[in-house]
Amino acid sequence: MQPKKLDQQIVQQDIALDSYLSTLLDEIPSHVELDEEDEIKAVPLPVKQVKVSSAIVKKPVAQVDIKAEELVKPLRPLAVMPDWAKDEFQALFFKVDKLILATPLTELLRTIKVEKAPTKIPGQPSWFMGLLDTHDQRIGVLDTGQLIFGKSIGQKRDLDKQPFQRILITQDGRWGLACDEILSIGKVEPDKVRWRTLRKKKPWLIGTVIDELTAVIDVNHLVPHRKSN
Amino acid sequence: MSDDNKQNDPIMQWVTFRLGDEKYGINVMQVQEVLRISEIAPVPGAPSYVLGIINLRGNVVTVIDTRNRFGLMSIETDDASRVVIIETEDHIIGILVDSVAEVVELRASEIETAPNVGNDETSKYIQGVTSRDNELLILVDLNKFLSDEEKQEMDLF
Repeated sequence: MQPKKLDQQIVQQDIALDSYLSTLLDEIPSHVELDEEDEIKAVPLPVKQVKVSSAIVKKPVAQVDIKAEELVKPLRPLAVMPDWAKDEFQALFFKVDKLILATPLTELLRTIKVEKAPTKIPGQPSWFMGLLDTHDQRIGVLDTGQLIFGKSIGQKRDLDKQPFQRILITQDGRWGLACDEILSIGKVEPDKVRWRTLRKKKPWLIGTVIDELTAVIDVNHLVPHRKSN
Repeated sequence: MSDDNKQNDPIMQWVTFRLGDEKYGINVMQVQEVLRISEIAPVPGAPSYVLGIINLRGNVVTVIDTRNRFGLMSIETDDASRVVIIETEDHIIGILVDSVAEVVELRASEIETAPNVGNDETSKYIQGVTSRDNELLILVDLNKFLSDEEKQEMDLF
């Protein structure tokens, strides 16, 4: 009887193996169609609580000697940053309405007192105040308030009652930025400025002097690019 | 000045007029006459820059409110106000101005292009600017003073 029992065992093992292999080779259906009456019931899974013991570092960590200088990474100039912003620069601080602004001296030619109203040219935008002849140059005077605060706020100012007092003339001598007051000239260190990285909106606003919270502007982005007639 | 220079730098005469604080110039060759203000009959449904029409020796002439056209506030007319009758390429129109000043001679080289920072359409009639008597004179190209559509509209009045 012994050999017969062994044969039976072998046959059963073969069947079991075949069954196992065929299960493995069967394609797993990508989705299971459920009858409308079928319900998907959430099966609660047993949750094992895992105790986390605090890790103890037996070996001392090797001390890393980092000098303070190495921690201060050199300023990486951004692609959008103008050249003058890479090093310390001298800036002119001026006031438009109640806002204090700073712009590098290298971008300016001179400042003048407003002694005569600019000649208005018909058909130009409201922020273009007109033309002014000064120092053998004809400059287009811009309403800095409107350019900075936008039309809706800037246009509220009555320039007849509250005219601008000074004009900053750009380096190329073509444009004048009207302002209320010239405050001072001071040195600005690049690491004391929070530089704006994304300048899709208001590209003329390139940063803020952190201590004084003064807006640093790039006048080249504030002035229009004159169309050739 | 030699004849060559005269040809290269011709002299043109401009009739100057005032609107508010500014002085403008128009080519004297296009000015037919300057009239004192007479009765201007309003035209119903006309655009805001059209003041109305006048009868000029049997011809109906449309009068343009130049202040409106140049974006200035309208004011009451007074003794100094004038209607300048001008001849553009194919139309005769009148333009109301605050006052007519004088006729000046300008060399072509004295005229500089005016900056155009706004909409091309609105300022295309500004031919240039020049400095005269310590102030800027804005020169107006009357042929571009009205668009073709606007000129066609003039015919309807």
